Amino acid sequence: MKFYLALWFAKLMGIAIKLVSKGRGTNLPGEKALTIDPDFVKHFKNIDYSKVIFITGTNGKSSTTNLVTHILKENGKKIVSNLEGANLLGGIATILAKEASLSGKLKADYYVFETDERYLPLIYAQLPAENMLITNLQKDQVQRNGDPDFIIRKLKEVVNPRMTLILNNEEPRSRFFEEIARRSIYYGVSRHDESFTKGVYYPTQACPKCHHDMSFDYYNVDSIGAFHCDFCGFASKKIPDYPITDLNFSDQTFKLKNVVFHMPYDLPFMFYNYAGSLAVCEEICGIAPAAAVKAFENFKNIGGRFEVLTYKNKTIKYMRIKQENPDTLQSALNIMASDQSEKMVALGLYVVNDFVPHYINTFYAFDCDFKPVVDSNVERYLCFSEHVSYDTANRLIYDGVSKEAITIMDSDDINEIFAEIDKAETDNIYLITWLSTFEKMKKFIEGGQN
Amino acid sequence: MELTIKVGWLFNNMFNLHGDRGNLLAIRAEGERRGYRIEVEQINLDTATFNPMDFDFMFCAPGEIEHFEAAAAYLEPHRKELMAYIETRPMLVTGTTVALFGETIRRDDQSTIRGLGIIEIEARENHAVYGDDLYYSCQYNGKEMEILGSQIQMIDLNIKEESPFGRLKYGYGNNGNTRFEGVISGKGIFTNTLGPVLVCNPWLTEEIINLIETNKNWPIWEDHRDNSLELKSLKSKIAHIDKKETRLKNISER
Repeated sequence: MKFYLALWFAKLMGIAIKLVSKGRGTNLPGEKALTIDPDFVKHFKNIDYSKVIFITGTNGKSSTTNLVTHILKENGKKIVSNLEGANLLGGIATILAKEASLSGKLKADYYVFETDERYLPLIYAQLPAENMLITNLQKDQVQRNGDPDFIIRKLKEVVNPRMTLILNNEEPRSRFFEEIARRSIYYGVSRHDESFTKGVYYPTQACPKCHHDMSFDYYNVDSIGAFHCDFCGFASKKIPDYPITDLNFSDQTFKLKNVVFHMPYDLPFMFYNYAGSLAVCEEICGIAPAAAVKAFENFKNIGGRFEVLTYKNKTIKYMRIKQENPDTLQSALNIMASDQSEKMVALGLYVVNDFVPHYINTFYAFDCDFKPVVDSNVERYLCFSEHVSYDTANRLIYDGVSKEAITIMDSDDINEIFAEIDKAETDNIYLITWLSTFEKMKKFIEGGQN
Repeated sequence: MELTIKVGWLFNNMFNLHGDRGNLLAIRAEGERRGYRIEVEQINLDTATFNPMDFDFMFCAPGEIEHFEAAAAYLEPHRKELMAYIETRPMLVTGTTVALFGETIRRDDQSTIRGLGIIEIEARENHAVYGDDLYYSCQYNGKEMEILGSQIQMIDLNIKEESPFGRLKYGYGNNGNTRFEGVISGKGIFTNTLGPVLVCNPWLTEEIINLIETNKNWPIWEDHRDNSLELKSLKSKIAHIDKKETRLKNISER
């Protein structure tokens, strides 16, 4: 009875929230339902766990979930997914309550859920999915997670011999789980024009199997690329089960299993999301790559990290990074560096303010190689954001930028940021900052300051 | 002939969590400013011959506890040499890895890892992570200074028979219940301050290089570095600490 009460309450609450604000209510109804029935998610009926797919990992969860869901829907499948909302138990409870009948019955071909890696054991305890894709396990949100091993331990609580894992072939920590799962499918990306290497003073990582040093032949994305451990032989496979090859940036195409795909986004980290999605669709859902081609023609990523604004005669290319996450910062830097035309670089790293205590962290910037940006024809740098601007400037100085080439602004004042952008002779502006400042900048432009 | 400072970077790939390579950049920049050649040697599990006394400065960054047993097994035969090394020569050990140099590490699952026993501390892995700013005063090579950096605490430290490196002005420090931050043993700094602590606090970098100069009987460089950028940063970060909300036990109550 508790379950029904919780279900009806969640349904009503979901409807009420939607009436007030359309984009909200993706977590709260489920959270409240879980307070009424702590095993709420466990009590839904008709869920075949072999049709449940978790998509977890540090980076790329949302995009991969979006793409898998899109491909499956384009192929006529009925999908339940938490595309719109939270990736914790409350978010999953919310979407299940919304999709279920009044008696708690669900009817779907597949259940595709983005799952927060930290909370995976809690989610799995109520929804024992038999399939899981791990995008990558990187340094991220250290104030919460500490180090990647903290997350690996969380995943170890969940991965078991009944599971099929879809693993990133070129990411050693994810590959570690192949030893536990019943079946592992590997996806990867071959070396391409934007693959890169880092100097000897950029550390790699320890082999997750024997602790000795890993070597990377190249990176396709920071910390992801062809790897090997000389001590124990652990290495990325030369040809994974689902390899993306023939990446052609000018034609915006790639190949997978001899099928040619349109590339909806030509960003290196997206290539792994493409490969992983195609692996899930064929291996778990029986949708072969050839049947997925059409879906790539009209795929729109929700909540992407890149946006372009026009301000006066200038183009502002905004790249959203995840705080405390060197890999997303490195990806943004690589994109900047690949543009050799004259540019202004505006860097607004910021105080980490996810929860109390807020703290200053720019140290992850030292994991990133700024040199390619420094060598890419930068007219001027702007380092802004209160309390961290000097450290950000210092990071640039340590990669060879002269102090005179940097404007330091110990503030987040939008007017001052735009005043600096106005001074630039170039019309090509690259911007990295947190979403809140960017949204204010967007409003500033939309408010007629253009 | 060019004068050379030899730096040993312990387990650079295995222990690499928080942009700690910045510390090597800071040592290199300050050494080169004084006209020295900086030679960095990376020491890993496959390094066949390791003699601490070959180095003028050694650095060991924070790492995952998962790898501690392998690191301890490698360093154990060099325990006495390391103890002799820190008597006179500078060494910087940061973050979680401080525990590796202590006596025991009690893990969250109640298992125990034996540390190197180079410093007399006991360590206990926390169930949850605590991340915050860390601000303290300390003395190194005879100079009083303030250090401000970041702390991601996964292991609490309890000092047995050692001196703390710093006296907290703000932050969690060794375990959130004392005013102590880290440990200083001889010339070895064992601190919870992680990331590029020597970049953000160049006054400490200067003293490390001054000590190396003394050890090598070189004249102490008198032309001071321009630290104005870092001093402005320090001031701004102190302002942030002064106004922020915290749930830490007040320093005066510890």
